[in-house]
Amino acid sequence: MRILVVEDEVKAADYLRKGLGESGYVVEVANNGIDGQFLAQESEFDLIILDVMLPGIDGWQLLQIIRRKSQVPVLFLTARDAIEDRVKGLELGADDYLVKPFSYAELLARVRTLLRRGAPREVEQFQVADLQLDVLRRRVVRGTERIVLTNKEFALLQLLMERSGEVLSRTQIASQVWQMNFDSDTNVVDVAIRRLRAKVDDPFNPKLIHTVRGMGYTLEVPE
Amino acid sequence: MSSRWNAHLPRALSLRLALMFALVSVLLLGALGFYLYQSLEREIVWRDDQALIGRVERMRTLIGDADSIEALRKRPQLYANMLGNRDNLLWVLDAAGQPLIEINPTHLPVPILPPGVGVQLQDGGEHNSAEPGNESARLAWQHVTYEGQALTLVAGKLLAERAQMLAAYRLKLWLALGGGALLAFGLGWVVSQRGLRPVRTLAGRAAAIDVQHLHLRLEGVEQVQELQHLGAALNQMLARLEDGFGRLSRFSEDLAHEMRTPLNNLMGQTELALRKPRSNDEYQALLASNLEEYERLARMIDNMLFLARAEKPGTVLHHEPIALHDAVAQLCDYFEGMAEERGITLVNEAHGTLNADPQLLRRALANLIANALRYGSADSPVRITSQTLDGQLEISVSNRGDPIAPEHLPRLFDRFYRCNPARSQPGDSGGLGLAIVRSILQMHGGSAHVESDVEATRFSLRFPVRV
Repeated sequence: MRILVVEDEVKAADYLRKGLGESGYVVEVANNGIDGQFLAQESEFDLIILDVMLPGIDGWQLLQIIRRKSQVPVLFLTARDAIEDRVKGLELGADDYLVKPFSYAELLARVRTLLRRGAPREVEQFQVADLQLDVLRRRVVRGTERIVLTNKEFALLQLLMERSGEVLSRTQIASQVWQMNFDSDTNVVDVAIRRLRAKVDDPFNPKLIHTVRGMGYTLEVPE
Repeated sequence: MSSRWNAHLPRALSLRLALMFALVSVLLLGALGFYLYQSLEREIVWRDDQALIGRVERMRTLIGDADSIEALRKRPQLYANMLGNRDNLLWVLDAAGQPLIEINPTHLPVPILPPGVGVQLQDGGEHNSAEPGNESARLAWQHVTYEGQALTLVAGKLLAERAQMLAAYRLKLWLALGGGALLAFGLGWVVSQRGLRPVRTLAGRAAAIDVQHLHLRLEGVEQVQELQHLGAALNQMLARLEDGFGRLSRFSEDLAHEMRTPLNNLMGQTELALRKPRSNDEYQALLASNLEEYERLARMIDNMLFLARAEKPGTVLHHEPIALHDAVAQLCDYFEGMAEERGITLVNEAHGTLNADPQLLRRALANLIANALRYGSADSPVRITSQTLDGQLEISVSNRGDPIAPEHLPRLFDRFYRCNPARSQPGDSGGLGLAIVRSILQMHGGSAHVESDVEATRFSLRFPVRV
């Protein structure tokens, strides 16, 4: 999977290259709009990450140029999150946007979603190690033991299992499970995770739900 | 309409007033002059008519007294003398209309007069342009019978003199009118200059007030009633501006202070870590800790941006009808775990529907519930209720716990305001929660309130009910 990053902030471009590289993508970086346009036209990419404020050609213009020829997914990054800016980007044909500052986990999640797009798969059963979750029958089994969860605990576990291996930030979790799309300065998510762990992890081994300090939570088989 | 009208008026208020004075005096003097002129004219006409009638009557007596008409005819000078000047006319006409006696210095044609009883009056001697000096005249006449002979006695007066006199009078009136208007303009200008002096004083004082001198107030106009009101209104505006400006600069100051805390942590920890080589674990811990501080900063910036946008006029809200019980139930669901850990029960007593932006309502209520959970005493309920109060829908969140001191209540919704500055909690975004609640309510045209006593602390949100 090839990703083009057009970003004039050198530090930001570096960590995007490094991060996405570590996540298994092939990354090309352009530090200005002109180079970005050249690269985008010269070679094929599966995704373009575009900063709006660019020297030379700005992100909006570049987006228009790209859209004339290709339908490659475009994720744009912006420090200005006035609603007009977002609307403008989406109208010009961007597929998603992220407002700076964003967490890397959030970026990675968006990138994965965009690359998955077109082939959405409805998964009905998840399994991580000996933990099984059946979406339709709303059953959770660890090993041979049936675990009874509340609705929200179920939704939380489903989210963690769907995105197994990804780090989910507290904001993402609050937004996906409770539709709380804002930071509320509370430890609600931590409490919910603690309760979920008590049912799913504490009586068992290995532990599957992990805290990634400063970032959030992830569910995976420990290495 | 009025603005177009105003556009044509001179800019200086004193000039405007002077012009209005002049206009008013022209109207007044004009009406007065017209009235006087009319009455004078009527008076003159009446007096002339009386004189003519008197003359006809005297002539009849004279004819009655004289021996014969012939005798009278021989003494025309007598009448001439009697009549005195060239304005006056006199005819004695026989039955055929031929003049027996004629005094007619301007040679008007002999008038043809309709029959009638008694003395009659008429404007006569129609203008005859062929003869110079011919003018119209006012005539009085009587048909009499003298010694079996039908006679017509006619007395007349030329109108020229009267017309001249009236013309002169008219001229004087016009002059007086013009002079009066000029005088009124001049006086009006002087008077308004003097009268507007307090306005200039006011302007002078207002000009002295700038950002550094917002504490100054407008003074020295108290003796003028109208300006007193204006001055008071302006002073109130200044007070509000000073207050707003004070809040704004306090806010910037608070903001800087609030940002210092995470920055201080970041700088200190990072510097310390770089002093000597550390283990990988230590580096990881440092970076994770840094990330937390960064997130705190990012959250602060988000909240500040939210507040800044909320205050910008023209923010678009996405109103929709919200079933309150369901909306609150969703929030209770979210906070349930947290509440249980503190032994607090969330009691949802909200009902009814409210037309509001659901995202914003949820955010406001979430902030209040989070506060109630944070400060409510353990093992007590937090109640979310709703009620309709004179056209407003009130949603309240109340908790038991230590009451908030009364001096804090009015400022509780201010940005960065903390009852206890030392009790800022790590990880919170710095006292913006309630400020956000207030601005959400302001966006909806509502208001946020708080009351606190030993029984309970109760935050209430009042939304106007849209019809």
